[in-house]
Amino acid sequence: MKPILLHGHERAITQIKYNREGDLLFSASKDNKPNVWYSLNGERLGTFNGHQGAVWCIDVDWTTTKFISGAGDNTCKLWDCETGKEIGNITTASSVRTCMFSYSANMAVYTTDKAMKQPCEIFIIDTRTIDDSVGHQDPILRIPIKGARVSSILWDNLDEMVITGHENGEITQWDLKTGKQINSVKEHDNIISDMQWNKDGSMFITASKDHTAKLFDAEDLLLLKTYKTDRPVNSASISPIFEHVVLGGGQDAMDVTTTSTRVGKFDSRFFHMVFEEEFGRVKGHFGPINSVAFHPDGKSYSSGGEDGYVRVHTFDSSYFEYNFDY
Amino acid sequence: MEVDSVKEVFQRSEEKHNVKYAQYIGDGDNKTSKATLDLDPYNNDPKVMKKERVGHVEKNAWEPGSVMRRKQTRDSGEERALKCSVICARPTRRFTFLFTRVKMAKKKVDDKNSQNDDNTKNDGDLSSNDEEPNFSDPEGFVDDITDEELLGDILKQKPKETDGVESVILVDGVPQVGPNRIEKLKSVINKIFVKFGNIVNEYYPVTPEGHTKGYIFIEYSSPVHAAEAVKLTNNFKLDKQHTFQVNLFTDFAKYEQIPIKWDPPEPQPYQGQADLHYYLLEPDAYDQFGVVTAQGQSVQIWQNTQPDPTTVEDRNNWTQTYIKWSPLGTYLATFHKQGIALWAGPNFSQYKRFSHTGVQFIDFSPCEKYLVTYSPQGDPHNPDLKRIIIWDIRTGLEKRSFNPEAPLLYETPSFGLLDKKSIKINGIRDFNWSPTDNVVAYWVAEDKDVPASVTLLELPNRNEIRKKNLFNVADCKIHWQKSGDYLCVKVDRYSKIFHMREKQIPVDSVECKEPIQAFAWEPVGYKFAMIHGESPNINVSFYEVRVGQAPILLKKFEKRACNHLFWFVDTHEFLVMNTTDHYQMSDVEWDPTGRYVITGVSFWKTKVDTGYWIWSFQGKILKRINLEKFAQILWRPRPPTLLSEEKQKEIKKNLKKYYPQFESKDRMRQSKASKELIEKRAALMEKFQSYREQRIKEYLENKPRRLALRNNVDTDELDADTENVEEEIVEFFIKGRNNPSGLGHSG
Repeated sequence: MKPILLHGHERAITQIKYNREGDLLFSASKDNKPNVWYSLNGERLGTFNGHQGAVWCIDVDWTTTKFISGAGDNTCKLWDCETGKEIGNITTASSVRTCMFSYSANMAVYTTDKAMKQPCEIFIIDTRTIDDSVGHQDPILRIPIKGARVSSILWDNLDEMVITGHENGEITQWDLKTGKQINSVKEHDNIISDMQWNKDGSMFITASKDHTAKLFDAEDLLLLKTYKTDRPVNSASISPIFEHVVLGGGQDAMDVTTTSTRVGKFDSRFFHMVFEEEFGRVKGHFGPINSVAFHPDGKSYSSGGEDGYVRVHTFDSSYFEYNFDY
Repeated sequence: MEVDSVKEVFQRSEEKHNVKYAQYIGDGDNKTSKATLDLDPYNNDPKVMKKERVGHVEKNAWEPGSVMRRKQTRDSGEERALKCSVICARPTRRFTFLFTRVKMAKKKVDDKNSQNDDNTKNDGDLSSNDEEPNFSDPEGFVDDITDEELLGDILKQKPKETDGVESVILVDGVPQVGPNRIEKLKSVINKIFVKFGNIVNEYYPVTPEGHTKGYIFIEYSSPVHAAEAVKLTNNFKLDKQHTFQVNLFTDFAKYEQIPIKWDPPEPQPYQGQADLHYYLLEPDAYDQFGVVTAQGQSVQIWQNTQPDPTTVEDRNNWTQTYIKWSPLGTYLATFHKQGIALWAGPNFSQYKRFSHTGVQFIDFSPCEKYLVTYSPQGDPHNPDLKRIIIWDIRTGLEKRSFNPEAPLLYETPSFGLLDKKSIKINGIRDFNWSPTDNVVAYWVAEDKDVPASVTLLELPNRNEIRKKNLFNVADCKIHWQKSGDYLCVKVDRYSKIFHMREKQIPVDSVECKEPIQAFAWEPVGYKFAMIHGESPNINVSFYEVRVGQAPILLKKFEKRACNHLFWFVDTHEFLVMNTTDHYQMSDVEWDPTGRYVITGVSFWKTKVDTGYWIWSFQGKILKRINLEKFAQILWRPRPPTLLSEEKQKEIKKNLKKYYPQFESKDRMRQSKASKELIEKRAALMEKFQSYREQRIKEYLENKPRRLALRNNVDTDELDADTENVEEEIVEFFIKGRNNPSGLGHSG
């Protein structure tokens, strides 16, 4: 089926996320203005105006009432989803790279970059009541990171721990009661640019610039599967209904000008989650894909690229009929 | 200890020496003296008397070394003599034991006296001597231990007369000169031999008149240098009359001792050579290919089995640059800094090594008999090493070596110059052998008034069978057709075709206005193709050459982006069977049977997307293998078929009969592969499911906790909770419809 092109951003897409029900699609871009769209027809519902720099990360809580965004302007902002109004603003020492609401949305986490002599830090904040005082309140927990900076983050579904993916390929679990590191593995050789849960939050998939995406067990960080490609992988998502994963990536943005779209291979690639076999590709972007996301009903998926477009793809019936023999 | 030993001395004195010690000389405050007196060894006959503090000297004689020495350096000679005389005056028969000791001490003191007069520093030596107790053998004592047994390890280091002689060489054949020129000679000789090491000594024997005798001795600081000097300067030609004969000095001794009786050497047991052609016995006639990644970091040999290629051999650091198969596929050559290694046999065991430092290019003779290696730089440490070496593959021996110069024609197997004369061709630029005949084609560049020319030369009788003058030629390429029937000479504007099989060898020319980029003959046949034109308007033209006719243009493909020519198209009907893309492709390799073709993107050309793809001859992609740092791929060639022509014809005729056999075999293989795949998948899935079971169980157990976190709203499934949903109606405009009351959607 013809994809819906969401053309509302002027610069590269950095992250896209569906809300829990999947009727809305949120997108962040380097053009400072996160957007929200109807996922069904691609109509824009609104924008979140207020950031002064590239928005690196966004998240929406499970009730779709609160929206959080972190940006290169050294702020992490909280928004009212319904009105698009800024309800909280936290000024940080360096740019905010990742952010996420907890399962209950009573808390949120954001991490800052190691820049301007500031260390990379994880902040846990209380988001039960959001007002102007959010910016002055002390965070619930603050964890300075000594090693490589955090490049992606996940919150478990019991509000007990966060999992961070790092610039050097490390994955670390943090216990939020103690603020201590529980476990750490290094299975990737390069930056982990994205991590996403499977439906029940027991496994997660990582996307790394080392040309692979990997599936991990959330409990003991055991490497389960590896999906190999010949390009950096920027984002990966797990289908909620099938044992499928989708990978998005491509040549680095800085190298793209030296190669044509044909070589760039800016395709979304579909792999079987268990067999690690590639079974399909969807092309369309003319720049590397920075973020992919499955619709919560598993019947469509979206990809956001360096080209500034978000493409919403609804699967054809042949996708649902296709079966692996085993 | 001391007490015990003194007791023993007294007790055995009678039986051993038949004496009784009447007096014990001690220092008075010793436990020993008391013990001795208490002992009363001779039952008061006599009673041992103690001489109290007889003097320092006696005591020092017992305890040599420290005190004594210090005294000696302090006391004047006179005092020492006095003290010694005190001791000497004492001996009686009864004091034998003590006497010997003291005598020894005295002797040493005497020695010392004499030494001290001239050198007092030797005291150290003395002290070590003094420390030794009396080990002198009694008279008539016969040693039952040989020196070898006792100090074999030290004896080995005993200097021999020939020590140092190993580093002496003897050079014969040195010019005989008078005394006036001997210095000149020395400097010449020095220059030659100093290269091998530090010369510590040299000797030029001279006649009474002062003439050198024609041989000299040179001593190096190490035998290693001497050996190297012998190796490299033996038979060194100094000038026309003088050739050095260099030998190690020790060789003379060695050859003197040649036993008169000669034992014939043991016959070496025959080592059966591995089957070098085992790969041809592969029942399915699969071909092999070699893959090099990243400057020889690893080399893999693959068998192109169906449906997936299998690895035959995989070794790291097999070569340092690239690999090369011999023309018939028997050997695999790998390149190393030190030379070339050839590998053959079922396990690719090392067959031969050819040492040639800095070798970069090699070529095999068509029958795999000889190997020529070329090292463009040569060896900086060994300037005598020739840059081109021809080797005999089977023996591994060097046949001939030389530095590149004008083409010389050598005969095999003697590698003498053909007719002992070189062919002198002035200004030769390039030459090429005919693939089948003893004909060489070469071209000579334009030189002032003489036009450039292409000449065909028949050998060995050196007949010029055809010569064609060409004008305004900048460059010229010679292309032989594989079966040697035609020769194409490509000049900047014309292609000239020599009809080799016709009388007089007529020449045709094909004019092409555009620059020709590439040219290729059909391997067997009479067609050729060329790529011409400037990018991006590149055309490919196919021509046919007929007997007695000018070449006819058969087909022209216009605007094809290509830069090399390979036979992709069916030349009978000129159908392009398939057009496919392999971006940045750098290599195309047809397998020896022509059924498969591999295209590769080499790491030597581009850094991204390196790898190789295998295609069928119809242009269908069979396999894409993307390999990081893939460098080179080469099919293993096959020797020409052994079947006679009739047999081949027969097979071709009955091809239909064989066809179903192979077809069913292929199908079986395919189904086997898919069966294997399905089994593999099933195993994977089962493993994964069993792992998931545990996790799903935990997930379900945690449900109450999740509910608590989300206000008891079940969010596990999208439509799990229907009570807490607020219905919201959103109206959309659907494109292309004017009716706005279109679709409702519940969110």
